[in-house]
Amino acid sequence: MDVKEVLDIAMLSGEILLTNGSETYRVEETIERICSAYDIESECFVVPTGIFLSGCSKNDTKDSISLVKRIKERTINLHKIKMINSFSRSLKDRRISYDEAMKFLKGLDSAPSFPYYKSLLAAGVTSFAYAMLFGSSAINGIVAAFISILIYYAEDKITVINLLPFFSEFIWSFITGILAVFINKYILPINIDSVIIGSIIVLFPGIAITNGIRDALYGDILSSQVRLAEALYTVTAIGAGVGISLLLMKYWM
Amino acid sequence: MKGIILAFLGSFCPALLFNIEKNKLIWAGICGATGWTVYNSIYSYSGNKIYAAFIASVVISLISEIMAKLLKTPATVFNVPSLFPIVPGVSAYYTILYIIENDLTAAAYKGIETLGIAGAIAFGIILVSTIFRYINTRKRRKAI
Repeated sequence: MDVKEVLDIAMLSGEILLTNGSETYRVEETIERICSAYDIESECFVVPTGIFLSGCSKNDTKDSISLVKRIKERTINLHKIKMINSFSRSLKDRRISYDEAMKFLKGLDSAPSFPYYKSLLAAGVTSFAYAMLFGSSAINGIVAAFISILIYYAEDKITVINLLPFFSEFIWSFITGILAVFINKYILPINIDSVIIGSIIVLFPGIAITNGIRDALYGDILSSQVRLAEALYTVTAIGAGVGISLLLMKYWM
Repeated sequence: MKGIILAFLGSFCPALLFNIEKNKLIWAGICGATGWTVYNSIYSYSGNKIYAAFIASVVISLISEIMAKLLKTPATVFNVPSLFPIVPGVSAYYTILYIIENDLTAAAYKGIETLGIAGAIAFGIILVSTIFRYINTRKRRKAI
């Protein structure tokens, strides 16, 4: 296998890891592990918004190839991280051909995930649990679950809003705030604060903030800054959405 | 008891949303419930959120590193969902909400608390994973 093909495999693995919420050090380790399994000297630099990778074969160090990949969106899908992790470790014992590796990596997109109704249900139960965990009655939990399922469904169906980063968080938290105040006013009295927190708990970047500090402790200062800034903008968008909706409803009602 | 069940659901369902394998969901839930119980009991005993978050994250990382060894998966698969109940998402949200309501003192308080809890959790995870890495490399050296 030539250098370009190995780097392609390593780059695609790194891209899948990074877009599915892996830590920076894991991406760098995986890329280096794949390259060294095929006897290729590589150097890579990973930040949450892109991967820079260059490598050459150990015998012929003059002829090196560099690749750059821009990463635009990041979600969390732990199953793919696990698959790539075991894939890169298996290469050490058994080198596989380029086509085989590419087939495996491309096939990960259609990896088994849970049926849609289960995800909806999980979003609802998460909101129910957190609305109650932050100290309120079961009825608030049920309202939070209802709003959360509605938002989760709408977020999946209406993708126009995702054109701008952070805009969708703003819109959905805005709508959550309005729904909560509306239900409180006209349908049944609820604890608005805990219902709102429960409904949008999945959007909060708690994990992102923690991972940001973790990256810094591993020595990836730049990644840490990127992740913390992203978390800050996300939570600002959410807070602004909820805050504006609460202010609006205060004057309107 | 109610809290434990809710914390179990609160890590089980995010684990499903983060798409981990079916047979590992329940372990993530148990791990999260344990972590939350530790967090809550230390918090009610000492009244210090940062301290409680640190101990809870050490416990969660220990359990997830051990389960990672047993089930042959990276520890992140258990770490991320089970930390979900204690990561400071809500206090980050309150920080911004207080800024919008022009209550800057409360916002500063919440903001520093957010950073403190996140730092404590990250430190707990790193402490445990460094120890496990050290043990691993020593084992490998002995094997050679």
